[in-house]
Amino acid sequence: MIAQRKFFRASRAKCFLVIAVAIMFGCADSSVPAKAADTPPKVALIMKSLANEFFVNMQRAAEAHQAERADIYTLVANGIKNESDLAQQVALVDQMIARGVDAIVIAPADSRALVPALVRAMQSGIHVVNIDNRLATEVLAEYNANIPYIGPSNRQGARLVAEYVLAQHEAGSEVFILEGIPTAANAKERKAGFEDAVAAADMALVGSQSGAWDQTQAAQITAAVLNRYPNLKAILAANDNMALGAASAVKLADRDDLSIAGFDNISAVHPLMREGRIDATVDQYGAQFAIFGIEFALEMIAGQTQMTDRTTAVKLVTPADLDQ
Amino acid sequence: MKLHSPLITPRRWPDMSRRLLRWLDQYLVMVSLLVIILTFTLAAENFLSYGTLSAILNQLPALTLVTVGMTFVLICGGIDLSVGSVLALSAAVIGVTVAAGFSIPVAALAGVATGAVAGLVNGLLGSYLRLPVFIVTLGMLEAARGFAYLITDSQTVYIGSAIQGLVQPIPWLALTPAFLCALVVVAVAHFVLTATVFGRHIIAVGTNPEAARMSGIDPKLTLLIVLCISGVLAGLAGLMNSAYLGSTDPNAGLGLELAAIAAAVIGGTSLMGGRGSIFSAFIGVLIIAVLQNGLAQIGVSEPFKRVVTGVVIVLAVVLDRWRADRVP
Repeated sequence: MIAQRKFFRASRAKCFLVIAVAIMFGCADSSVPAKAADTPPKVALIMKSLANEFFVNMQRAAEAHQAERADIYTLVANGIKNESDLAQQVALVDQMIARGVDAIVIAPADSRALVPALVRAMQSGIHVVNIDNRLATEVLAEYNANIPYIGPSNRQGARLVAEYVLAQHEAGSEVFILEGIPTAANAKERKAGFEDAVAAADMALVGSQSGAWDQTQAAQITAAVLNRYPNLKAILAANDNMALGAASAVKLADRDDLSIAGFDNISAVHPLMREGRIDATVDQYGAQFAIFGIEFALEMIAGQTQMTDRTTAVKLVTPADLDQ
Repeated sequence: MKLHSPLITPRRWPDMSRRLLRWLDQYLVMVSLLVIILTFTLAAENFLSYGTLSAILNQLPALTLVTVGMTFVLICGGIDLSVGSVLALSAAVIGVTVAAGFSIPVAALAGVATGAVAGLVNGLLGSYLRLPVFIVTLGMLEAARGFAYLITDSQTVYIGSAIQGLVQPIPWLALTPAFLCALVVVAVAHFVLTATVFGRHIIAVGTNPEAARMSGIDPKLTLLIVLCISGVLAGLAGLMNSAYLGSTDPNAGLGLELAAIAAAVIGGTSLMGGRGSIFSAFIGVLIIAVLQNGLAQIGVSEPFKRVVTGVVIVLAVVLDRWRADRVP
């Protein structure tokens, strides 16, 4: 008797759960076509690391872009607190699916881990555009998904700045690379671009270590490397924060003959470039990334575009450019 | 001719080895440090050089100050998870104050005051509202980091070389003011813990707060003061970090609380409270710094660096436990 009652209670709970889930799905299904009818499309922007000026600027530019075009689309902007908070970013994708947006423009914190969540989004009829950090092609292939990447060639940008800096030194000089977080695709591409330039200029690459995009870590590694290789001539840093860290370590070691390359063109490196402590950086018009992605997403929603990648411009920034 | 009677030798040997063991017991942390230095000297050329020494001395002050505060809090039976974020917030205050046109000393004072306020809030909530210190400081870890992003607008703020006077070596000493300041803090803290009534109070509260209260010590006030000290030192560490980098980054000090706990524990501080030494914790800081520097000089991969650091931390605690078991 008691066992039976327990069974009933359990099965009632299960029924309830099934109904609740069914209602949730029903809502999700019905809401998508209802909204597409007359209200302007809703675009979700999912950023990584709002602790980083680069992404903050990107988000602001996107918000300004939307404010001017309020009748064309609405924007839901979200971000995670630091670049390694993957779980939070996956949760954001799921929340945007639940919210029933028409398109997701995402700067993935990881080039692989975000793919399954984005595939879920595509399956519920959402257009997905990849900006900043390119999703891994082999993982996309595994899911049989096609997500267009709108952004610069990090490899090309890295090669550009490294070639400029290495041209100041004779062939065979010792060069060191400060990589970003090794799992991120843009870190890999930038490293590959640096290596291209080192090989082309016939320099001696003495090592490459990860400063995890971080100033303090980059400073500590640079200090150690300067001791190990007293003849080091150039440091190629995969972002400006690491270039800043390297510059402070170089200064403390009294080695003003060293060249340093950065990447991203953040405002904090400008004073050091004027002082001649950082030689060059690359502007990939990061603030525009999100806008490029959003415009592409709008074209996709309107059915006007091919699902192919689009490469955006990069520009070398030297001290001479700052005075203009 | 026989010089030694066979009867004497077996009696002398255990005596010698026991004395050696006792010596090892006492200086175990320092011996570990020497072993690590020796290993790197063999593995990397140029390791044993003035350059390495100055590189290590330059990166020491921030972690040293934070570890001293952490050691106090741990001995008192608490934990301060907020130190990394408080460091970042203090550094951010310094950056923003300098950018607003104030002089470096004013900015430095504002930064240290920020740390003091954070410590005071931790202390008031933790001791007088009786909230678990773990949770209070965890909340501060989030909140202080958030404030750091807010006031800097999530941007790296460039301060300039004026503040780097703190990390330029004094000519006739070859040591930097920042490092000297950290050394003074270590010395004073060691003195406070070992030779003052307040130091005894900290250990008593950490060992058994109820017994301490019965014997007329105010455990709440003791914990409050200790958390304030930790906040002030984290603020000072923020100043040192800004000086080291010539700029402030709101992401500074991510995970620093764990490095400080590791250094304190390597130095034999008990996470249960009641036991620990400031001087040994400082050696713990040296071990972590030498390890970081040496691994970077050898150029091992990032994952391997982490594996080695983790193994050394656990090994140090195993040795310490072995020592604690042998010396009742």
